[in-house]
Amino acid sequence: MVADLIESVAKIVFIFSINLGFFAPILGWVERKQSAVMQDRIGANRANIGKFTIIGLFHPIADAVKVLTKEDFVPAGANKFFHTLAPFICLVPAIATFSVIPFGGQYELFGHHVNLVIADLDVGILFVFALTSLATFGVVLAGWSSRSNWSLLGGLRASAQMLSYEVAMGLAIIGIIMVFGTLKLSEIGAMQENFLHWGIFIQPLGFILFFTCAVAENKRVPFDVPEAESELVAGYFTEYSGLKFVMFWMSEFLEIVTISGILTTLFLGAWHIPFVTDAMLLSFFQFAGPNGATILAMLVNIATFFAKVIFFIWLQMTIRWTLPRFRYDQVMRLCWKMILPLSLINISITGLVLLLWIK
Amino acid sequence: MTQFDGKGSQVTVGVPAGRLKPKRVRRNLDLTLWEKLYVFEIIRGMYVTTKHFALNMLGFVLPPRGKKRSVFTVYYPDEKVVLPPAYRGRPVLVMRPDGTERCVACGLCETACPGHAISIVGAERENGERYPLSYVLDMTRCVYCGFCEEVCPKEAIVMSSEYQGLAETDRSRMRYSKEQLLRSEESVKGRIEYIRRIYSKCNY
Amino acid sequence: MQLLMFYLLGLGAVVAALIMVTNKRPVRAAMSLIATMSFLAGLYVLLDAHLIAALQLIVYAGAIMVLFLFVIMLLNIEEKEGRLAGSALLWQMIAIAVVGLVFVLMVSVVKLSDNVVPLGEAAALFGTTRAVGKMLFTEYLLPFEIASVLLLAAIVGAVILAKRRIDDSDQ
Repeated sequence: MVADLIESVAKIVFIFSINLGFFAPILGWVERKQSAVMQDRIGANRANIGKFTIIGLFHPIADAVKVLTKEDFVPAGANKFFHTLAPFICLVPAIATFSVIPFGGQYELFGHHVNLVIADLDVGILFVFALTSLATFGVVLAGWSSRSNWSLLGGLRASAQMLSYEVAMGLAIIGIIMVFGTLKLSEIGAMQENFLHWGIFIQPLGFILFFTCAVAENKRVPFDVPEAESELVAGYFTEYSGLKFVMFWMSEFLEIVTISGILTTLFLGAWHIPFVTDAMLLSFFQFAGPNGATILAMLVNIATFFAKVIFFIWLQMTIRWTLPRFRYDQVMRLCWKMILPLSLINISITGLVLLLWIK
Repeated sequence: MTQFDGKGSQVTVGVPAGRLKPKRVRRNLDLTLWEKLYVFEIIRGMYVTTKHFALNMLGFVLPPRGKKRSVFTVYYPDEKVVLPPAYRGRPVLVMRPDGTERCVACGLCETACPGHAISIVGAERENGERYPLSYVLDMTRCVYCGFCEEVCPKEAIVMSSEYQGLAETDRSRMRYSKEQLLRSEESVKGRIEYIRRIYSKCNY
Repeated sequence: MQLLMFYLLGLGAVVAALIMVTNKRPVRAAMSLIATMSFLAGLYVLLDAHLIAALQLIVYAGAIMVLFLFVIMLLNIEEKEGRLAGSALLWQMIAIAVVGLVFVLMVSVVKLSDNVVPLGEAAALFGTTRAVGKMLFTEYLLPFEIASVLLLAAIVGAVILAKRRIDDSDQ
């Protein structure tokens, strides 16, 4: 009982600290710096303590100080309650979705069963969808309650876009769920121990479709019509300042991490290293005793998982700084006329293959 | 190609214009089937950006030796760009070696100026030569078109490459007098040669 | 613990529903409805029906309510301060009475029927995706398919309503 409690608290603290303490602040810097490097620029490098700039890593701290000291502005005529509520609705699902993503396997440690996922829900991936669908309200409410035309247009666009891509996203992963036969993310992760059983090899089309939908759901650049700065100033968070503004940004960055986590779990073999099974890992660390070997294998698995997550974060950043924005009708056409039929085809083919060859 | 006035050394960045290969661009708007599939074209675009990313990351780890640099950023107050002669900055009056201005107060620039920024009061010296008693250039009205330079028969007013200190918080301080505008001949030599070329002012 | 959670979630659902009914501002009413849906999802979780809870959030709170909000925002519905006329009030009362009656009927039917699984005896697999899916595709296949036909009819109707007529399109 006590061990369970310690395990849960440790997992929650770990995920919180790595998401809110590492990814959320650092990704703002990563975005600036990576875009700079991709475009032959230098990027943020001026914030300093004394002589030290450490390639601009003080910028997140400087940003935090700036944000905390800014005026919390609510426009005249805005609905103050919903205006304040909206960023929270955006942020909470972004934080909570990581709770069902396994960041490691299952281990026997000191006679105690450790499952490296905060909540190993039976509905796993559906829980993620449920929470992301709630995040839509944050955006819509932010757009509506600001009483600004830019915000309202951004909110309208966001509601239509996120709703459409949720449908397509749900259909895009059905293929992989059919193959693995479960919604539980920890089981899906455990099934990809063999390198050739990774989701990306089984479902390449599903991977592309889900990745596209996930980026669109997060409203990142090729699909950032709700916040298109050349058309709508900043879209749904035009009227936000200070901490509330940062909450929108943090939710966007955390969603990047969550999307990367889901992609890793579903398609890139979760915490497994290619061609290395769990048993091989354990026997490799045999010198450290049974518990020591387990701990070392656990750390390697966690590191592998987060390395893959960081790869996907890098990929999303690269996409964001490579592709231009779609026009709004192109976004919707891509969803309803390309991704949706393609995912239906994917489901049919997967079903046929499962029925005719695998069974 | 841009040159930097760094700490004594001139740094060249970017690809020299002679090395740029002309690229064939397809200008019809209809996408081919291959392009309509998006994914492969997206991967092609990502290949370009990733190449830059990888090369520049390598440059972070192993900074390239020598004068070549792959980063285009200019650390502005620390580094300054040496501007090409075609740059049109603040119009200045050219000074003769003896300290007097070349201007003969003919008033052509005053007439040509579309913003009516120039106002001249002419006068005559003892030897019968005309000179501007006062030459006021109102920089709040100047649009940097360079017409004054084009019409000037004596190459007395040229567009210099000065771009600093053009903004003021007080309009009255932006009305420059003759004394404030006088520059030595050497400082605007490049521009004078340039306008001789482009305006065919080589016949005198 | 479970009872406390039940009372909290139930109270939240009821209060949110009351706010939804009594509030005259459309966006607030819609947001209250979303809150009601979320509380109901919590109640489903208490009943070990995780799948239904997730679907409740995805379909009702996520998709349908976003469409509600979308329409409210698109039409920019103003706050109406008008009072209900006498006859309308009467009809409202009748409607509430009828709905209440139906609800009581439903509850009594469920209570009186024998095949309701008591909460304590719920099988270990109850409410899992696998169990619900098996039920849907074996025992309840016909209602499931009929519901899908109903949805198809709704889709066709929506397309016909939204589609421009051919003789209008060339104007």
